[in-house]
This record gives sequence, C-alpha cells and structure tokens, in this order.
Amino acid sequence: MNALLTFRDSKNTMIIVGMSVCLLVTVLFSLSIGAVSIPVKDVAVILLNKLGLFSTVESNSMHEVVMTSIRIPRILMTLLIGSSLGISGAALQGLFRNPLVEPSLIGVSGGSAAGVVMVIVFGASWGLATDGLLYNSLLPLVAFSGGLMATFLVLKLSNQMGRTNIAMLVLVGVAINALAGAVIGLTIFYADENQLRTFTFWTLGDLGGASWHKLIIAAPLLIFSSSALLLFSPALNALALGEAEAYHMGVDVERSKRIIIFLSALGVGVSVSLAGMIGFVGLVIPHLIRVLFHADNRLVLPASILGGAWLLIIADIVARTVVNPAELPIGVVTALIGAPFFIGLLMKAKLKNEL
Amino acid sequence: MYQATNILFRIRDKVILNDVNLTLQPAKFTAIVGPNGAGKSTLLKTLAYEHQHFQGEVIINGKPVQEYSPKELSMVRAVLPQNSQVQFAFTVEQIILLGRHAHRTTKSENEKVVDEVMILTGITSFRKRSYHTLSGGEKQRVQLARVLAQVWEETVYPRYILLDEPTSSLDIAQQQLIFSLARQVCERNIGVMAIVHDLNQAVQFADQLYFMRDGKIMAAGEAQTVFTKANIEETFCCRVNLYHDSCNNCPFIIPEREELTVTKNKIRLTIND
Repeated sequence: MNALLTFRDSKNTMIIVGMSVCLLVTVLFSLSIGAVSIPVKDVAVILLNKLGLFSTVESNSMHEVVMTSIRIPRILMTLLIGSSLGISGAALQGLFRNPLVEPSLIGVSGGSAAGVVMVIVFGASWGLATDGLLYNSLLPLVAFSGGLMATFLVLKLSNQMGRTNIAMLVLVGVAINALAGAVIGLTIFYADENQLRTFTFWTLGDLGGASWHKLIIAAPLLIFSSSALLLFSPALNALALGEAEAYHMGVDVERSKRIIIFLSALGVGVSVSLAGMIGFVGLVIPHLIRVLFHADNRLVLPASILGGAWLLIIADIVARTVVNPAELPIGVVTALIGAPFFIGLLMKAKLKNEL
Repeated sequence: MYQATNILFRIRDKVILNDVNLTLQPAKFTAIVGPNGAGKSTLLKTLAYEHQHFQGEVIINGKPVQEYSPKELSMVRAVLPQNSQVQFAFTVEQIILLGRHAHRTTKSENEKVVDEVMILTGITSFRKRSYHTLSGGEKQRVQLARVLAQVWEETVYPRYILLDEPTSSLDIAQQQLIFSLARQVCERNIGVMAIVHDLNQAVQFADQLYFMRDGKIMAAGEAQTVFTKANIEETFCCRVNLYHDSCNNCPFIIPEREELTVTKNKIRLTIND
C-alpha cells in the first residue's frame, strides 16, 4: 500500500506541482479581468489583505468589493466545479474501464438536471423563496438524488451476471437520458417565460449565479466527494485489469464500485445544481492526462482535479471576455474548446490503434 | 491444503458442478483436464471464491473461504484468468505492482518482489514498456508475473495460484516456458492448479491430474497413474492411442483419426466398442 503510494512519486509530484502553479497563475489572471479590470498587483494585495498579511498596504475599495462579493466566490465555485467534474470523470472512466465514459453518459447529469428543473419550475409554488437558504440547500440535494437514482438505475439494468456490460450500459444510459429529457420537457411545459429563460441558460451552464450563500452549502460537499474519490486511486488501478482480477487481488469490488458511483454522483449532482450542465470537462481532462503523462490513477485522479479546475477557469475567462460586458454560457465555451480537442485525441488514438 | 468438498453449483436449473471433490497440495502442480464445457473454469472460479453461491465447502489452510475477507484471500491465493485485458496504457512494471495491491509492504520490499518475478519470467528487459505493445506470449508472462508477485513472499502458510488455461493461443515454446515456470514456483511452497488443454503437457508437468466432464470428476490421482487410455477416452469421447516417451519418461497420446457418422441428425465421432 505504502509502496503503491510512493511509486513514481517524484515524477508525479513534479507534474502535480507544475499543474498547481499553472492553475494558481491562471486564477490570479482570472481574478484581474472582467467588466472592471483590476491589475494583478492589486489582486494579490487584496488577497493578502484578506489573509491578514500586509494589511498596511492600501487597496482600492471598489476593487475590493468587486473581488470579495463577485469574483472570489465565482472563481472558487468555478474551481470546485471544474475539479469535481474532472475527478468524477476520471473515476467513472476507471470504474467502467472505458475512456469514453462521461458523467452525462451514465445518467448522472440527466438525472440531476431533471431534479433541478423541477425545483426551478415548481419551487415557487411549493413556497420556496428563490434565494432562501432552504432553496439553496434543496437544489444540490435534489440534483444529487436525481443523479444518484439515474446512475443506479443505469448500473442495475446493465448488470449481467454480476458484471457491468459496457454495450448495455451505453444503451441503457441513452434510454435513461431520454427519460430524464422527457421529465425536463414535461416540466418546462409548465414553466413561465422567466423560468424558461433561467432554464435555457442553465442547460448551457452558467457560473454567473455564484454567491457565498451557495458556496457555504456546496463547497463542503464538493471537497468531500473529490478528496474521498482520491482514496480510491489504487483500487481503480486494480480495476483497470477487470473486476474479477481486482477481486482476486484483494479489492472489495462491489463496495468500491458503490462508493465510487455515490461520490461521483454527489460531485456531479452538486455541480449541476450550481452551474447547470457543463459538458466535456469530465471527458477530456482525464483523457488528456493519460495521453500526456501515464495511466496510473494515482496521478490521473489528482491531476484531473487540477486539470478540470484549470480548463473551467480558462473557459470562464473566455466566456466573460469575448462578448464583454455580456457573457457567453460556459457550457458553450467548454464544448467549443473541448469538442475539436477531443476529436483530435480520437484521431491520434485511431492512428495508434489504442481504442 | 486447498480443499473443495461436495461442490454443487448451478445456474437456474442447469447443474454446472455436480458433487466435485478436489484437493490442492502445497508445492504440487495439479492439472485439470476435460472437454469444453466440462465446468473447469467454473470450478476454478468457485475455488477462487469468485462464484459465491455454491453448495459444499471450500477450505483454504483449514479455514472456510467464506471467513476470509477479499484482502486476506488475496494473500493466500492468486488467480490468472483467461485472457485478461488491460484498458488503459499501463507499463509492465505498473501491472506487476498491482499484484502487491493488498500488501502492506514498503516500496523497496515491493520492488524486490517485482524484480524477482520479472527475472523468473524473463521480462526484465521490458519493464518500462507499455503493456499494449507486447506480444501474446509476453503479455501472458507479465500477467503470470503479476500473479506471482501477489503470493511471492515465503510465509508460514502455503499459498496457491490458480491458472485458467495459461497457455491458450501461445506457441509451443512459450507454452513449455509457462508450465516450467509454474512448476518451478512450486518450490516456494506454492500450490499450483492449472486448467490445461493439451493432455500431453498436463501429464508431463502435473503431479496430480483431474479428469472432468459434465461437471463431474471422472478420475483423479497421481498424474502418470490416472493417465490411462480408458480415462481419456471416457472423458473426451475420442479414441486415443497411448505411448511412452522415453526421453521425458512420460506417457503421451495421439488421437485416432475417425470417420464422421450421422446419427439422428447429429454429426459425431463414434467409438466402436
């Protein structure tokens, strides 16, 4: 166990440190740009002030307000969502032994979305104030349960003699997603103009609704699911050889499988409830890390946290700047960056006969 | 000792294993032979406790298999399934290290084990290579090395490895190599069980031989003693001639060429006796 953790550790540590530095620089840059441009120097000063350091240095108070009430929560949320999507994608790909699995494929996103849409549309008639604490805590909960239900259904239906049949999984996933789509469609039928608009933006992904209120509830859940998933990297390595093989090597396969799916559904469900459907992060990032470095999940999982966060921050910068002062939906940007990139990866894999 | 007593295994109404008794001795090579569909792989999976819904008893080193946790079980038995596939681009070394998954040993101890099994299986030179780039025979040796790494260290209790047709689709040199390796690891107080397709190889390498057909053990015992014309013909429904190879001091068979006959719309080989 010990040895498994330290295997290749020096090289892995370097990769992780390198990625963290990249991410940090991107975050600082991201904090400085937007409708109000704040110099990176001021960003650093405000951040250090907040941490109680160099409090003697004066900073622009308007900048400070923009930073603390708008940008910092937004970027924290972007970081958390990106990392959750990244690691959930990596874990699910490992679990299903298939590099093409994405949270949306196995029903997590669809199930969560159906739950969230119902709350958006019917929430008011249930007497929920749209920015109340109850509403903010109900949304992640509903998203999570919807995602979990859909995933378990997909998993249960694609189980054949105790093993997950991958072809079956994909087909059942399609069916469950269609069902979730129907539930969403039916719900929208009862939506008013305003809700419809909210919903449309939400399906394309929207990080604009970030607030400290939402973060207080969502952040612990997202941090918990991501860090708990990290513990399963050695088990996921063993699972890469097959479920029977992993069992032979001492992995409690059924238990690991259930926990990994639960944690992934939690991460993706909460992310969906915060920012809507953001595609491609969970698919592309783990794939990219395997191609760039290696397939050891002890690297792929932590690196997917950093890579997912990084990609979403970049996408958010693009979304906020290209049509300034308006904003592009984040899902559009991730798809615009992700899709061509993914096609490129597929072509490369085809040449090397890897798929 | 690795003991299976009165094993009954069925899928719905179909009986796959019917009152099977089998004993694996530590430091001995036990081979299972039988026609396709005889239940050999099912027996192996039952012994490995991969199939958990069976009647009867499987006892490893005096303790029923149900009382082992997956982790404890992995310390006493390792399994080489038929055609293992690796989905992601792992290196040879990473694959073999996976065999150490459940062990609480240090990095240097694990590396020592990996080095030793690599030397034994002759794969040291492709340590850093991607598993996908290897040939069939090389892949099989890597998998065998992984299985060995799991039960390599000498312990007070005997360990066992269960191999499901470890030589399928390999050329004869690779086949001989795999079986010789399996024999050699017996010396580390490891009991080896292998499902073997080639009868001549089975009798050449095994200490104990089990004949299986239709979920039943047809004959079992010292390999050279039970390797008889009658046992083989009864198990496989195929006429054979038995010879003795003085070079290996070992019996061998050659199947007889037979005419096809059609009876009741079925084509089959007939045994005229």
